[in-house]
Amino acid sequence: MAKKYTMIINLAKCIGCQACTVACKFENNVPEGQYRTKTPATELKGTYPNVSLFFIKEACQMCQKAPCVSVCPTKASYYNEDGVVLVDVDKCVGCMYCMAACPYNARFLNKETGVVDKCTFCYESKVSKGEKPACVSTCVGSALMFGDLNDPLSEASQFLTKHKGEVRKPELGTSPRVYYIYEGVVR
Amino acid sequence: MDVIWGVSTNEIAWGGPIAFYLFLAGIAGGAFLTASLTDLFSKNQYPKVIRSGVLIAIVTIIIGLGLLVVDLGRPLSFWKLLLHVNMGSVMSIGVFIVSGFTALAVVYGYLIWLGGSAQKRDLQTFRKPVAGLGILFSIGTATYTGFLLSAVTTNDFWYTPFLGITSVPFLPILFLVSATSTGLAATLIGAWNSGDLTAYKKVDMVLIILELVLISILYLSVHPIFFSGSMAVLFWLGVVGLGLIIPLLISFYGITNHKNVVLPVCTMVVIGGLSLRYFVVYTGQLF
Repeated sequence: MAKKYTMIINLAKCIGCQACTVACKFENNVPEGQYRTKTPATELKGTYPNVSLFFIKEACQMCQKAPCVSVCPTKASYYNEDGVVLVDVDKCVGCMYCMAACPYNARFLNKETGVVDKCTFCYESKVSKGEKPACVSTCVGSALMFGDLNDPLSEASQFLTKHKGEVRKPELGTSPRVYYIYEGVVR
Repeated sequence: MDVIWGVSTNEIAWGGPIAFYLFLAGIAGGAFLTASLTDLFSKNQYPKVIRSGVLIAIVTIIIGLGLLVVDLGRPLSFWKLLLHVNMGSVMSIGVFIVSGFTALAVVYGYLIWLGGSAQKRDLQTFRKPVAGLGILFSIGTATYTGFLLSAVTTNDFWYTPFLGITSVPFLPILFLVSATSTGLAATLIGAWNSGDLTAYKKVDMVLIILELVLISILYLSVHPIFFSGSMAVLFWLGVVGLGLIIPLLISFYGITNHKNVVLPVCTMVVIGGLSLRYFVVYTGQLF
């Protein structure tokens, strides 16, 4: 049965250590200065001494109605059998239409290959072999969770029944498969 | 930018080369329209206008396409755009519209510039059909430049609908009018000393007024932030001032006082068209 892979980001547990950022760069050989994922701090909120911020992991949101896939002129951007959005490097010409369409700024033109690059959930190197994406397995605060929503017993499915997972920019109707848990952070 | 603490800014995926291409494709479409419509409806009166228009169309569309290819991440793989087709992608459809237009413009240019000699008289039977088909493709090319941006439904500015009708995007209409206006202006620059061009000047004024109306509707349809910061200068000085209001006033003066003001007016209209493409491409991505 096809999988419904999802990533859950529990923001209250993220300490902003960037282990995910670094693990991703090592795993995927991402060129210097470019990132498939990064975890920037949000703007500081409140007035001294009552101030707060949190870190929010950014990467491809694995939309199920992905603007990048529909605009791609060569079908280089596609959904694979498990609903993961991927880029076929042989078909991509680097027109950057998908980058203009992506509302999450998740894509970039890889300066070494000349084609568009982004998070793949480490599909080829990890997930297809039954492992978890590099960022998830390295996360020191257990802020990241990865699993199959088609399996009701998976950790991810179980977690989402108890916690409210929210997607980014839901008003755009892109149906992302990356969920954010805001419990315990000040938005 | 600092990866962790820096203020995140919207990245510009499409920059100057794309804006310039959209401008050139518009000029090409408009210049072809000017030449072919003149050819079909008053052939013998304005031979210089026809020659100027078709030459400008060919040169601008070829430079524009060259610019597009060079701007790709992998320029040498541009041929894959012809091989792998996605009928759901406006760009994929556009590849064929613009390629068809380029081919027709070159054939039409050959018929106008070189095919007139006595032994090639037979070829002239193709001229009007080529002009007619070319009109469809030039309108297609001009509107395509708008559809390319308006198809990005996640972009609040580019996706702006016409008068709130969600099925009718705004940019294709605006770019078609701007393309016709700038293409006509560029053609007249190439034929500025060819006698009485009053009819063209009047058409140009109508187009400028129409574009002013459209720009006003756009201004009222979208969030004011799109007209702020550095974009405010480009919009008010480039698009509205230099591109529309000043040329409109000068051409009005020219017509009432029988002065030849073709060169200044048309130059300003062309610069205004370029400003409009830069404004739309950038402001849609900055905010």
